[in-house]
Amino acid sequence: MIRVRLVILALLSLPRVAHAFGEEGAFDPRVLITGAQTPPKSTGPARWALELSQRTSAPARLQPSVVRASDPKIVDGPFLYWSSREAAAPLTSTEIANLRRFFSLGGVLFIDDSGVNENGQPGPFAASSRREIARVLPETTPIALSPDHVLFRTFYLLRKPMGRVVSASPFEVIMRGGNVQVIFGSIDLAGALARTAMGGWESPLTPGGEMQREQAVRLAINIAMYVLCTNYKDDQVHAPFLMRRRTRLPFGMP
Amino acid sequence: MPPPSPLPSLNVSHLAISPDLPDFVAFLAAALVAISLALLAVELRRRERDGALILVTGILALVALCLAIARPVRISAREIQIGARVLVLADASRSMALMDGKQSRADVRDRALKEFASNARDTRLSVMSFGEGAPHPWPTGAPMASTSRERQSDLSAALRTIEKSPEERPDAIVVVSDGRLTDPPETATRETLSALVSGLKVPIHSIATTRVAPADASIRAIRTAGAAVAHVPLPVHIEVGCAGDIECGDINIIARELRDDGAPAVLASGTAHLVKGVGAIDLTLTLDRAGNRIVEFAIKPPKGDTIAENNRRFVPIHVTRERIRLLHVAGRPTVDVRALRQWLKSDASIDLVTFFILRTPADDPHATQDELALIPFPVDELFSDHLPSFDAIVLQDFDALPYGLEQHLPGLARYVRSGGGLIMVGGPDSFVGGGYAGTPLADVLPVLLDKSPGAVAVDIAAFTPNWTDEGAATPVLAPFRAIIESELPTMTGANILGDLRPGAVALWTHPSHRTSSGKSMPVLAIGDIGAGRSIALGVDGAWALEYSLLGSQTGARGYGALWSGLLGWLMRDPRYESAQIEVGGCIAGAKSTLRIRTAATTESQAIVVDISRIDANAGDTPIKVEGAIEHGSALIELPPLPSGGYIAKAKLNGATTRQLFACEAGGDEWADTRPDPERLKAISEASGGVFRMASDVTRGIPLPAPTVISQERRVTAVAPPWLWGALAAIALGAHWIARRRGGLS
Repeated sequence: MIRVRLVILALLSLPRVAHAFGEEGAFDPRVLITGAQTPPKSTGPARWALELSQRTSAPARLQPSVVRASDPKIVDGPFLYWSSREAAAPLTSTEIANLRRFFSLGGVLFIDDSGVNENGQPGPFAASSRREIARVLPETTPIALSPDHVLFRTFYLLRKPMGRVVSASPFEVIMRGGNVQVIFGSIDLAGALARTAMGGWESPLTPGGEMQREQAVRLAINIAMYVLCTNYKDDQVHAPFLMRRRTRLPFGMP
Repeated sequence: MPPPSPLPSLNVSHLAISPDLPDFVAFLAAALVAISLALLAVELRRRERDGALILVTGILALVALCLAIARPVRISAREIQIGARVLVLADASRSMALMDGKQSRADVRDRALKEFASNARDTRLSVMSFGEGAPHPWPTGAPMASTSRERQSDLSAALRTIEKSPEERPDAIVVVSDGRLTDPPETATRETLSALVSGLKVPIHSIATTRVAPADASIRAIRTAGAAVAHVPLPVHIEVGCAGDIECGDINIIARELRDDGAPAVLASGTAHLVKGVGAIDLTLTLDRAGNRIVEFAIKPPKGDTIAENNRRFVPIHVTRERIRLLHVAGRPTVDVRALRQWLKSDASIDLVTFFILRTPADDPHATQDELALIPFPVDELFSDHLPSFDAIVLQDFDALPYGLEQHLPGLARYVRSGGGLIMVGGPDSFVGGGYAGTPLADVLPVLLDKSPGAVAVDIAAFTPNWTDEGAATPVLAPFRAIIESELPTMTGANILGDLRPGAVALWTHPSHRTSSGKSMPVLAIGDIGAGRSIALGVDGAWALEYSLLGSQTGARGYGALWSGLLGWLMRDPRYESAQIEVGGCIAGAKSTLRIRTAATTESQAIVVDISRIDANAGDTPIKVEGAIEHGSALIELPPLPSGGYIAKAKLNGATTRQLFACEAGGDEWADTRPDPERLKAISEASGGVFRMASDVTRGIPLPAPTVISQERRVTAVAPPWLWGALAAIALGAHWIARRRGGLS
């Protein structure tokens, strides 16, 4: 057993393009880029993967991949993270077709507006990304996500989404077949997780505080767990435990 | 149907009116004669003289006139008498083999048949046997055993067949039986019997073989649904009885499930209180394992019981699952785990219980327990108390050691051997990596695991699995192959698996890695383990069938088809079995047939079937029977088997299929050994027939008269028509003269 773990750790340390046995199915916070968008330099997705692997049993890819919407490999995993400060350019027909294939396999897309300002006012990406998703999934309508949704208790018990900013409104989502497939956020989650090369936090938080940073990490882990376990925590066997813990949380605690 | 055998012929001759006259002419002539005589009588009162002459000439004139109209002819012919058709229905059921003293009921039946035949020489007699379904021609000269082996005595079916037959209907039917009929039942009313015989419109006579009931205690009836749902209580009503010279009070009854993996399991027991020789008890059975099961019901008979065979009955019960109850345990959440859970949750026929290890002791969540949505992993509860309630267990990338599963591995192995299903899905913490090598659980996997201290757990080289011949041919993966067209995705590594366990089959193998014996390493293997089944999938990349270009092109249907086949085979879904075995009603001590059906193939293939006992004599040496599958089917004759429960196992394309069956000495026909002459008497009375005991056949049975048939018929005129006309004219003229002489006009 120890020998096996050592082998795997040794392999993880090697610079590899292909992933080792047991890591192919690890959580990959894949960054989606569209049109002429350039790959973001944020370390947020990598931090997301690191926090997941340190805090939970879930394996994660510490070097998250980047995939273009026009690339057929968009269907190679169940999760995509699409974030930008700029307005999203109109999707090409190839990009729309690829995204539809991704959704048809049950994939989950997290759209996060990293241009949201300190007052919670969304940037141009929020509206433009909604417009483009409406072209990809024209038959669907975003709905507000209830605080009771399993997304807020896949690992941590949370009350509302927090990132670099605290959202004034809840997440909106597109659900298909009973599962969340698109999450619309304006909290700049990757911004809250990103660190500088020196190890400090890349962006200050609004309103601020370590509690908010911790809640952002917890939300990122819950999203990852939702991708890997779907509605596992909705299973009846968990219900009595989680109901008791919910009632013990102090009023006003996120 | 035998050809009519005519009796000796007779030459006969008689007069008749001309055949060219219609029937009404005779009536018209008779009416005219009557009217003319009446008028003659009236006129005679007005005559002056010669009254006698007028009367005589008048009558002669009328006679001559009638003869002129009728123009008589002489008909001569040769007449043949055909005997009435009498059909004898002789009871050929197994109850006729019961002994009445030193002779069997069949002996009495055969003697009665002989005596009746000698008294019915003027009839066309045909003898048929009745039992199950339509009657069959009586096998003349056959040994007694062959004429008393039918599993039922369905007289109603025999009578309905005769009624609907297009052949000549018999003029009388004679039934020879002990009266203990399957149908009509003992409770049939007179109205029911009348309705049964009314369509035939012939008398049904009956001859009863005996009135004497043997000294016997027996299970007379077991009433239950032929199918049950696993884990759901099944009510069973059992009737017991005593007859003959035997004393019965309370009788103990026990119900046991016959198992091929060990001793019979007691399901229920109770005591029936007999009043006037009859008692009943209701038991509730709960069968946990799906498929065809055999339940044995047995009584402990009182002293003096002379028939032991009906103290034990075997009842086949088909057990289905309302839903497949599945326990899915994963050591850590991955995309592979997600894919399998998503598929299992999407199937409404699966009742899924899931436990994923989301946090190990080494993980630091930076939170108190109350801030986490985690619950303790109830390993003891799941793998001890609730284990029997699951139909299958899926262990996916799960390490046995940290979570206390190790202590439950012996129980988990027993669960598989006694009929449970097990799937171990690959990952760093599966197979050798999960600490399973050398444990009892390793003994129920279809592959061997290296338990040496330096054993390597995984091979990290990327590869594409190869299909084996068995994998390409098995119905388990046929739907999967049809979707993906045999193209398998590249895997990033594999668990190191050993050689196949005896009886297991590899469906995929590694292209380069070899086992210690030099064979290609299994990647996907299936195997029968005792009464259960297990699957080893030594990769964690099956999810690539869903999230990949291949998955996108196939709509992820390949992933679903793979798991449908594997889970279906694990649960013995007939669609995924390599073959289907059926055993036709087995009678203890007599040859029976076993049929094997496979997916259609034109190739001839030899097959060997192992027959083993699963009841109290389970240690008996198994029997091997051989056959050949032609065009997807084989019919194999089984040698005479003693009464008991059996399992038939056949191996085809490496995969084993099996079927439980039972052979009974008496069956339903020996359940109630009392004869029932009163039922035969009621049937005869309802149809207008007579009833006789076999000892009284010489008193005779009223038989219908023969039918007369005329042959070589000749018609000759007695006199030419002109002569009849002339005679009539002369007679009328003489009458006219006599009238004139008498003063009449």
